[in-house]
Amino acid sequence: MSTSVEQRTGAGRKGPGSGEVAAFRNVSKHFGAVKAVNDISLTLHPGETVAFLGRNGAGKSTSIDMLLGLRDPSAGSITLFGGTPRQAILDGRVGVMLQSGGLMPDVKVRELIDLACRVHPRGYQVDDVLETAGITEIADRMVDKLSGGQEQRVRFAIATAGDSDLIVLDEPTTGMDVKARQAFWAVMRAQADAGRTVLFATHYLEEADSIADRVLVMHNGRLIADGTAAEIKARAGLRKISFDVHPEDGADLSLLRSLPALSALDISGHTVRISSDDADATVAAIYRAGFYPHGLEVTGVGLEQAFIAITGEQDAADESAAHTATFGKGNAR
Amino acid sequence: MITLIKLEILRVLRNRRYLVFTLILPVVLYSVMVGAYGKAGSLDGVSVKEYFMVAMATLGTVSASMTTNANRIALERKSGWARQLRLTALPGYGYVVAKIASTAASTLPAILVVFALAYAQGVRLSGSEWLLLGLTLWAGGFIFAALGVALGYSAAPDSIQPVIMIVYTVMLILGGTYGQIGGSFGSFAKWTPMALYNQLGRVAQTGSSVGAGPLAAVLGYAVVFIGLAAFLYQRDRREA
Repeated sequence: MSTSVEQRTGAGRKGPGSGEVAAFRNVSKHFGAVKAVNDISLTLHPGETVAFLGRNGAGKSTSIDMLLGLRDPSAGSITLFGGTPRQAILDGRVGVMLQSGGLMPDVKVRELIDLACRVHPRGYQVDDVLETAGITEIADRMVDKLSGGQEQRVRFAIATAGDSDLIVLDEPTTGMDVKARQAFWAVMRAQADAGRTVLFATHYLEEADSIADRVLVMHNGRLIADGTAAEIKARAGLRKISFDVHPEDGADLSLLRSLPALSALDISGHTVRISSDDADATVAAIYRAGFYPHGLEVTGVGLEQAFIAITGEQDAADESAAHTATFGKGNAR
Repeated sequence: MITLIKLEILRVLRNRRYLVFTLILPVVLYSVMVGAYGKAGSLDGVSVKEYFMVAMATLGTVSASMTTNANRIALERKSGWARQLRLTALPGYGYVVAKIASTAASTLPAILVVFALAYAQGVRLSGSEWLLLGLTLWAGGFIFAALGVALGYSAAPDSIQPVIMIVYTVMLILGGTYGQIGGSFGSFAKWTPMALYNQLGRVAQTGSSVGAGPLAAVLGYAVVFIGLAAFLYQRDRREA
């Protein structure tokens, strides 16, 4: 009796089940000879909380700009809620917090948020928005006199000034201290729980790990991973090995570099930290090399190491040079 | 949109730079100029006090509509506020419309302040002459507001400041703000935008009729500046 109509686009307004929020189809963007974004295809679904990871210059910001219609792709197509990005924005379906989105100077916080509420087709009450973003107490301050963390919260308030279906956040917690970040993500979770789709780019991988239910990894303009945080960690297949070496044992630390299955190696003082593709082989080799590891620990890795590993693999694949072991240098933090 | 316009006006009136360049500078210059030229008696067919009343009112108007406007646009492009606004449901032209509207609101005080000062100095016009002069000056300000928008989008935000200063200064000098330019160069200078603007003001002041040439030139500038503003604005949207 139920003839289920498959909704292939988000044209039917709101409502759960409308299959896609946003879609990239073979999207590329060139700046001269530089391929900032190279043939990306992906679909965002309603209600997802998606983390967008990548080092500086990986193509994240360019992709977000294209998603929002601020730039046109050189090739491929992008749809937002089944239409053009611009139309989705005019319909008030997208709330955006840009990385360095400037704020209007010479106005009070309340005046600015009031503007954001009024221009949104389904804007909320100013006081509610101020309250949610936790900026009620600075509502009468001039925008130019805010600290970096306060500015971020004002930007967040602008992004959530109305009933949008998708919230896009580019590096939202930059400049916030730990407490402010926790508070921020608590608010953000509430947005996701209300059924909104949230896409956020971040440098803080632990945020992606604890908040996102889907993680996208961009590297050199390509989308190299798309899955849950657990899947990406599993795909990296890494284990973390750490131990101390005592100088009186007389081992040559440079031997560590030739251990098998190394993905990353970090020696600080007497403490050695290793990411390994094959922990068993690496540990066996440590003993064979004449080390006596003190306080040996072998654990699974966090998303950060997994990120370093898969971007490193990609670099290795890209360079056909003989350097097989690429040491993750860590992303800029 | 209305909210944006209101907010833009509020910002301008709160701004200290506006106060200095648009209200205080013309007042100070007026006193200086009248003092310097006081013995000459008349300039371009009107008394010195009347000449500089118009010149300073146009100075205030042009400062507000051109430099303030252009500077703000450049700053807001740089800070990313202009981008953020494009991610709201505001129509694309909303930003520029709000800028021009706030300019129009901010030039009015500039004109009135100079009028009040000139009146205190003994300049007397009939009610309809004051009104006509005020309206002419105010309307002319829109042309410079368009030029301000064009300048604000004319180059990368970091390099706009000198562009504005050069255009502004050259226009003022050629326009006779600091006194008439004579000779054959003067006959060229009087076709520059600022000179025409001043001339229109004096025409409104004395009630004489405007020649077809200057009127056509003013309309021509209006078309060129508005076209330029629209073109540069579109170019910026495509690039950013």
